Amino acid sequence: MRHYEIVLLVHPDQSTQVPTMIKRYETLITKHGGQIHRQEDWGRLQLSYPIKNVHKAHYILLNIESDEATLNELTNSFRFNDAIIRSLVLKRAAAITEPSPMVKKKDSGEVAAVAETVGPVLNEAAPAEAVESVEVGE
Amino acid sequence: MAYYARKKTITVAPLAASEDIDYKNVELLRKYIMESGRIIPSRITGTAPKQQRKLTRAIKLARYLALLPYTDQH
Repeated sequence: MRHYEIVLLVHPDQSTQVPTMIKRYETLITKHGGQIHRQEDWGRLQLSYPIKNVHKAHYILLNIESDEATLNELTNSFRFNDAIIRSLVLKRAAAITEPSPMVKKKDSGEVAAVAETVGPVLNEAAPAEAVESVEVGE
Repeated sequence: MAYYARKKTITVAPLAASEDIDYKNVELLRKYIMESGRIIPSRITGTAPKQQRKLTRAIKLARYLALLPYTDQH
């Protein structure tokens, strides 16, 4: 079992599908004995540059614990899901459960945060900079 | 013998050692890129080498996620 951090950029037209998508991934992860430690919805954000002629995207952040086979299944499903325009998977050293700066910023700003922390708080002060390697997939 | 020391022109407030340099911390990273989107060299900002490496990594990840621009010509 390893810890992974996943960021997904969802096509803005498929924004409404986001909750069902997350639920599908959650069942896939828990079915194989994994766990979701942090789940954040950053909402629809303006992109700094257009990707596939899209100027906005719905951002999702997931911190999960799973085995390699489940992760491969997940990344494969990201690749063949037309709603996902970009994805990023990072390896993390421990479970991160505290809210990310993106959510903190939203909290102090005008938009209400839709952040929720899932699962037990295992490690309160997890090292956030412990990135071992980067797997990039589009 | 003339001795020339290059003077550091520090433009950004120094980073605390404990500062959370993360690709998700876009507000912080924005201080370390130029208007053109380029990463500002540490000789200008006065950032410690270790933190500059973290910054570079974080900025490049943020660019991939379109949280930051690669250039101003997008």
